[in-house]
Amino acid sequence: MSISNLMDIGSTALNAQQAALNVTGENIANVNTAGYSRQQVVMASGPSISGAGGVPLGTGVQIQAVQRSYDAMLQQQLVSNNSTYQASLTTQTALQQVQPSFNEVATNGLGTAVDNFFGAWQDLSTNPQGTSERQALLSSTQVMTDTFHQMNANLTSIASSADNSLTGITGEVTGNAKSLALVNSQIITTQAAGGSTNELLDQRDLLLQNIAKDVGITSTVQSDGTATVTLAGGQQLVSGAKYATLYTSQNAATPPTNDIMLTGLGNPPPANVPATDTNVSATVGGTGNSLGNLGGMLQVRDSIVPGYLSKLNEMAANLVSTVNAQQSTGYGIDGPPATTGHNFFAPAGVTAGTIALDPGLTAATIAAGFPTATDPAPTSSGNNANALKVAALQQQTSAFSTGTDTIDGFYNSLVSSVGTDTQNAQNATTQGAAYLQQLGTLRDSNSAVSLNEELTNMTKYQLAFQGASKLINAAESMVDTLLAMIGAPT
Amino acid sequence: MRITSGMTADNAVYNLNQGQNVLNTLQEQVSSGVVVNQPSDDPLTTRQLLSLQDQVNAGKQTTSNITKGTLALNVANTALGGMMDIMTQIKSAAATMLSGSNDPTSIASVTSNLSQLKAQLIDLGNTQNGNQYVFGGFKNGQPFDTAGNFSGTDDPLNVEITSGSQVSTNVSGGDLLRGGTPPAAVGSGATAGGSPVDILGSIDSLIAAISSGNTTGINDGIKNMSAAGDQIAGAQSDVAGRLVRLTNAQSMITNNQNTLETAYGNLQNVDLAKVGVELSQQTTAFNASLAATAKITQLSLLNYMT
Repeated sequence: MSISNLMDIGSTALNAQQAALNVTGENIANVNTAGYSRQQVVMASGPSISGAGGVPLGTGVQIQAVQRSYDAMLQQQLVSNNSTYQASLTTQTALQQVQPSFNEVATNGLGTAVDNFFGAWQDLSTNPQGTSERQALLSSTQVMTDTFHQMNANLTSIASSADNSLTGITGEVTGNAKSLALVNSQIITTQAAGGSTNELLDQRDLLLQNIAKDVGITSTVQSDGTATVTLAGGQQLVSGAKYATLYTSQNAATPPTNDIMLTGLGNPPPANVPATDTNVSATVGGTGNSLGNLGGMLQVRDSIVPGYLSKLNEMAANLVSTVNAQQSTGYGIDGPPATTGHNFFAPAGVTAGTIALDPGLTAATIAAGFPTATDPAPTSSGNNANALKVAALQQQTSAFSTGTDTIDGFYNSLVSSVGTDTQNAQNATTQGAAYLQQLGTLRDSNSAVSLNEELTNMTKYQLAFQGASKLINAAESMVDTLLAMIGAPT
Repeated sequence: MRITSGMTADNAVYNLNQGQNVLNTLQEQVSSGVVVNQPSDDPLTTRQLLSLQDQVNAGKQTTSNITKGTLALNVANTALGGMMDIMTQIKSAAATMLSGSNDPTSIASVTSNLSQLKAQLIDLGNTQNGNQYVFGGFKNGQPFDTAGNFSGTDDPLNVEITSGSQVSTNVSGGDLLRGGTPPAAVGSGATAGGSPVDILGSIDSLIAAISSGNTTGINDGIKNMSAAGDQIAGAQSDVAGRLVRLTNAQSMITNNQNTLETAYGNLQNVDLAKVGVELSQQTTAFNASLAATAKITQLSLLNYMT
């Protein structure tokens, strides 16, 4: 036991407090860094040595570790909830674009156009030979078919912009996978050199979250600290320093849509060969395409928009077939003799996008007349019996995929279901946001930097540093005292 | 729980957003005056609103149908009134001949008068409403030629007055002036004054009887004319009955529209008092959270360190 020992203790203390102040500084500097986990210095007293008289004495303080405050389970939950939240956010955005087309409560849309179409038949029934009534019917039909086309175009463009955005999303995923592979390799090298990987681990976790926002993943942290990422279908995206390219490739469908393709692993990964790479379109979005921005876009493209389109197509087909069936049994005012058997709408392959007046139909061949006992075929021009029958089709129920309903009823249900879907997506997004917010709060509570805490620590370490300096001062004056005793010059 | 300034900031942003959202929704309701601005605001109410709207639209269409039907029936009614006047003139002209005047001048004047009246009757039979002949059925062309032959049809020209219920807006000219299609036999002797009456045919026989001084024929003719008057009066009261039906249907639809629109309004119109109170509550709450956020985010140990 010597005075120099005292100096050593002071020196370890100075070193340790300075290191702690360094860590505090790092924490304060990164208070606003996304994904940063605060670090704490773990100090331990040095081994004791036996001093004078066999009394064990300490040897100062040692920095044992710089610990990262981190909760692996919270991290996993953040990753998976980011995926589901992004998917519902994407579908919500798409539905909010779909909804205005169906917003019958605020504007006059398809429902009003159909009402006006049948109203025009009613008007025709009050004056079956009237040229203006016939023209009005043709115009209101035109308005109705235009509205069908408009809605079809709106829906199709929402689906195709979802399809287009797949390319950007896959590019972003590949970019993040590349960064993650780089971080993985840096973790391995830094560890081999014995350095601290804390900041790299934070970057790794942030990258995992970013990838999860775009696509559903399962991530595993290996014992060496690197992260392995597999897609929802089980294909590996990142493993150690290797990563795969996720990209889009147009398929042979008409019109072509994007397939999601995945190359093999490598660094850099092998070149894109759509013919032999794995097509992950069916699995990459998770169950029901419920994961990630990518899943949301696939959901919009493959189920939401096609669902509404098929309802609109069904409505158009029903309208065309019932009106044609009635119209073709009646007689026009062309001729003489008046002719029969004309279609009102073009009958072949009717969809919301193609519904149109029959090219052969003229104002005169609109069949308002229907043969009666006293007015046999071909009918007189004042005969309004068929116009009444067509007008009555509006109230007539027929079998739809959703059950038996009138055309108006079927369309109203469709509007209401768009509303319900949008509302559900909004609720899911709101809940997802609230849950993420809660998880973020928990993560922050555990890992984020608190300035007040760091400032307190700073004061604490500063005071300890001053104390240690005083200790060295004391040891120095002790040495001085001793030297004075032996008369050495000071 | 460990609280960091970042958490306080995040929470403040999140909660301020929530408050802003609520204010935004209330603001939208107040400024638009309606509760459901898009289907997702309330899908179930949307469904109700749409079917109410459909019924209101259907009511509007039927109202337009009824207006047109009423016009057509009124035109027919006016024509029938004219026919009644002519029948009265024919009866009084014929009655002057019953006293047995053989004066050729007066016979000639009465027969020419009767022929004129018959021609007027035929003209009234060709009455048009717009370009439709109200006594022609489905035929679009003069239903009566100058001789009084009927070429129209007996079909009813129906309009829809409520869903599934139709009213005819015309009168069959054949039944009215010819007693049917083909024309009924002209009554004479025992059958004179029977119904239905071929009015135009009977006028022809009456003219013939007057020309030939056939007193029995004139008597039969007068009986027939009397029955003819009844026939036209019958048609008049039939038309009047249908007009009443249209008026009733119209007032029923008006009532119905009022009810539907009230129901629509109850669902869709904003209760301004209620929303106003909510808005002021939310504004107060939002102000409070803004003030609290401003205070809390400034708290830091830094303020007290030198």
